Amino acid sequence: MATEHHGTVETTAAPEAHGGGGLPQLQFEHWGGQIVWLLLIFAVLYAVLAKGLLPRVSGAIETRGAKIADDIAGARRLKDEAEVQARAAAAEVAEARAKAQKTAVDAKAAASAEAATRQAKEEVVLAEKLAAAEARIQATRDEAMGHVRDVAKDTAAAIVQKLTGKAATAAELKSALA
Amino acid sequence: MADPMHQFQIAKILDLPKVAVPGLGQIDLSITNSVAAMLLAATLVIVFYAFASAKAAVVPGRLQTVGEMLYGLVNGLTDSIIGHDGKKYLPFVFTLFVFVLFANIQGMFLVFTATSQIAVTLTLGLLVILTVVAVGVGKNGLKFFKLFAPSGVPWPLYILLVPIEILSFLIRPITLALRLFGNMLGGHVVLKIFAGFVVALGGMGVLGWAGAALALSSVVALTALEFMVAFLQAFVFAVLTCVYLNDVVHLDSH
Repeated sequence: MATEHHGTVETTAAPEAHGGGGLPQLQFEHWGGQIVWLLLIFAVLYAVLAKGLLPRVSGAIETRGAKIADDIAGARRLKDEAEVQARAAAAEVAEARAKAQKTAVDAKAAASAEAATRQAKEEVVLAEKLAAAEARIQATRDEAMGHVRDVAKDTAAAIVQKLTGKAATAAELKSALA
Repeated sequence: MADPMHQFQIAKILDLPKVAVPGLGQIDLSITNSVAAMLLAATLVIVFYAFASAKAAVVPGRLQTVGEMLYGLVNGLTDSIIGHDGKKYLPFVFTLFVFVLFANIQGMFLVFTATSQIAVTLTLGLLVILTVVAVGVGKNGLKFFKLFAPSGVPWPLYILLVPIEILSFLIRPITLALRLFGNMLGGHVVLKIFAGFVVALGGMGVLGWAGAALALSSVVALTALEFMVAFLQAFVFAVLTCVYLNDVVHLDSH
């Protein structure tokens, strides 16, 4: 075993020119102490790390991971909440706008309806006045036409008087004018 | 020039009595430079993670960020390679990864690199493969040996396939060990040699200074490369551990 190792080592450590009894690593009288000490040290180190220190390290890492996950979840929750609120606000605004529009439309409709009724009323009044006026005109005309007959009778009587020298009778005049 | 291999020489720092380990006989448990480097690496890991995870803040500081980055890296490995069951093996893979990483990095700053010792890397390699065997047998029982006989192959091929599979399994701890060992050894030897060139050429007059400058810039570039290798080798060790664990965890789909 020693020679085998020696061969491996000499290629790695070529400049071993002095050759003072080979590698110090192959002085087997020193192996026992190193091996026993190494096993002891390793066992203690393993125990301290596995039972004491590593759980603390992994605990810190896990705590951080949990904290980050927690914070992200919290932030996401807040974001969702904010979104819900924003949606509610938008809905409120839309509702208010719809209400305002409805009010405006209602007002317009009411105003136009009132205008229409007033106009209708005015028209009725105007129509009455117009009818009255027409009736008056008719009456006046009829009356005037009546006077025309009288005037014609008078004129005819006068003409007959002048032409014949004698007054025509009312019956003659009436039959002449009919 | 100084011996580039001298940096790997084991030296005792603190003498401790030999201890009888059952089955192995008398083991010298003195604190050597290698043991000290391993102790330092492990201590650095614990101190680093103690500070990095002290606050466990939701918004991490620099130290916590780096600590979580390394954790995330290994977590990603176990998750992507082993899958959902990977979490169970995370502490083991993570311990391997940070121990190798800190030992490598520690070797870039101080005089001794524990992961450049075969005794250390081979122990780590065996630790991995024995864990793999333990997990495999614990999870699948005797079906663990299906690992060496992949399904969907015409039966005469098994005569060829099974020995190859067994061999490739047995060689895993050795390749794990030698890859890490070779990278650390090679890097530190090359650094030492180029650094030696700087001193040697620097004493040879004006012409030598140009060579020394070249060697120095090489050392700077190589140091950067070695930092990358230090990380990469630890990463490769962790990746291969995950791959080997995955083989036995998902034996049915093998």
